[in-house]
Amino acid sequence: MSGTAGTSAPAAASDAAVPLLEVRDLHVRVGEQAVLRGVSLRIRVGEVHAIMGPNGSGKSTLAHVLAGRPGYEIVSGSATFEGRDLFALAPEERARAGLFLGFQYPVEIPGVNNAYLLTAAANAARRERGQPELDAFEFLALVRSKMSLMQIDESFLGRGVNEGFSGGEKKRNEILQMLVLEPKLALLDETDSGLDIDALKVVASGVNSLRAAARAIVLVTHYQRLLEHIVPDFVHVLARGRIARSGDRTLALELERRGYDWIGEQAA
Amino acid sequence: MSMPAATERIGTLERILRDYEAVAAQLPDSAVAADTRRRAARELARLGWPSARDEQWRYANLRAFERVPAFRPAAPAGATAAEQGAAGAAFELPAPLPGFERWVYVDGVRQGPPAAAAAADATPSWSAEQRFGLLCDMFAADRAALRIRGQAAIELLFITSSRAAGAAVYPRLQVELEAGSRLALVERHLGVHDAPSLVCAGVAIELGRGSQLQHYRLQQCGTQAVFTDTLSARLSEESSYQVRQIGIGAGTARTSARVALAGRGASLGWQAIAVGRGEQVHDTTLEVEHMAPGTRTEEVFRGIADERSRLAFSGHIHIDAAAPGSEARQSLRGLIEGAGAEIDLRPRLEINTDEVRAQHGATTGQLDDNLLFYLLARGLDRKTARALLKWAFLGDVLRAIDLPALRSAAEHGAAGQLPDVMAVGALA
Repeated sequence: MSGTAGTSAPAAASDAAVPLLEVRDLHVRVGEQAVLRGVSLRIRVGEVHAIMGPNGSGKSTLAHVLAGRPGYEIVSGSATFEGRDLFALAPEERARAGLFLGFQYPVEIPGVNNAYLLTAAANAARRERGQPELDAFEFLALVRSKMSLMQIDESFLGRGVNEGFSGGEKKRNEILQMLVLEPKLALLDETDSGLDIDALKVVASGVNSLRAAARAIVLVTHYQRLLEHIVPDFVHVLARGRIARSGDRTLALELERRGYDWIGEQAA
Repeated sequence: MSMPAATERIGTLERILRDYEAVAAQLPDSAVAADTRRRAARELARLGWPSARDEQWRYANLRAFERVPAFRPAAPAGATAAEQGAAGAAFELPAPLPGFERWVYVDGVRQGPPAAAAAADATPSWSAEQRFGLLCDMFAADRAALRIRGQAAIELLFITSSRAAGAAVYPRLQVELEAGSRLALVERHLGVHDAPSLVCAGVAIELGRGSQLQHYRLQQCGTQAVFTDTLSARLSEESSYQVRQIGIGAGTARTSARVALAGRGASLGWQAIAVGRGEQVHDTTLEVEHMAPGTRTEEVFRGIADERSRLAFSGHIHIDAAAPGSEARQSLRGLIEGAGAEIDLRPRLEINTDEVRAQHGATTGQLDDNLLFYLLARGLDRKTARALLKWAFLGDVLRAIDLPALRSAAEHGAAGQLPDVMAVGALA
């Protein structure tokens, strides 16, 4: 066993198990610019990770590359999801395999209603798992309790996806989708940005309700405050396209106190 | 010795006039008076055949019209009801619309007894852009004439049967609403798919004071058909004309419409969808004239061009000096899906008075990659995601179709061109 400090603190307990997500030495470019410069990360089921870092450090890029957003060039490195080559899968296949990206800026799709998107998404996931599709009544039964948890009014179902929603409503809607889809791995990209404290608590309670032994959650965030409500097992600091430091939640507190500059200096 | 070219390749106009001379004596006065037909022929001869060099015809597929094998009507007066019935019977009619009286026209001729409350023949004076309306005046074998007092709901089915292959069909529709009357009118053009033919409709609308017309227009002709419709509407004081037009069928389709907002407070809502695929060409020119104070226009066009299809919409709104306090909004949007597809949108607002509220916008683009990725990231397959976004794109107009059965027909009609759309009701 390697003695280096890093992401695999509990490795001894579950070394034999295939990690849910394993990223190895990932290098990614956007145009001419190197954005990720050798990211390695291992995430097991049951874990909650926080990826922190200053603006432009590459944290959102990492989340989007893993979800399959076009426009990024994977220069080298690998990512596996339950042992499968993640980069060989189309975005929709990744989603159906159980990877969920919660968007920092959820798009508005006027004209397509939330109920339709939720049903279509839930049924795509169910087909993948060999489960029967939900009909309208089963869907409503499923979604009602989750909407109440997210404090979303039922009239939302008939509205266009995120159409005219406030920032907080959009984020709650993202978490609602996550609750309906029950992914194996949730990558939540800056889910706390733009939320007031009440909305933050609602979002956090939604995320916490999904914490489970069979699932992992990755919180991409700039600030520590989300981590007061969703306590991570691991905290990683991304700086200049690399994981500059990993630790437990006390690292987040240290960042809160000292800022990111000292990490940046170390990573340079 | 070589023959002069003119005798080998006779011009389209000459063919039209020759066909007219050959059948003129058989054409019924009850549809169009012989005088009117002759005047129309003379006017067409004066105007000549349009040229693609003319701005208003630039995007029309004139070549398709020039290739029409014959302009004589498929069913002149001679066809018996039994013959017509047999031709129509081969066609599966759509389910009736609840609450609507249905009139069926096969190859331009009505099935069953003639209408009781027929309006007098009211042939509009077509503009040069509308000269195909003259063809309908010359050749129409029947007419649907509606004079409405009170309230009514009527569905007109114009069916082109395979009997019309190699010939032409001239649906002719005249609507007059008396003061304060209301009419929900469905005008649906359907056709068999194996019949190359010309469908040339002429529509004249006259709205009395305070009357309201909801006009649902579905063009679902066979893919071999060359379709054209020419519409002229005149709106009196406080009348309202709401058009919902869905163009899906025909290989080539052209709409030339002209609406005169002649009375104070008259309002027009023109909401249109065109969906093209293959090598379809759909071209619409809509001219609206605000002639009186406080008149309103809301014009919406949504077009999707797939494969190598071409769509064009030209919307010209003219606000006269005599029309202060008018409002005009124009929103034209095109979505290009096919690598060889083309969309041309031409909004035009011409304002000759103060105190007018007007806005217009025209955009053509492709599906937004961010929206697509969002749907893919939720596990929707690519085909469904694209179809859904296309539906959403058409949603403005589809939502405005307030007859559930018809909206569903329109959605399915459009969905036939948008694969794998799973459910009606996806639209918010």
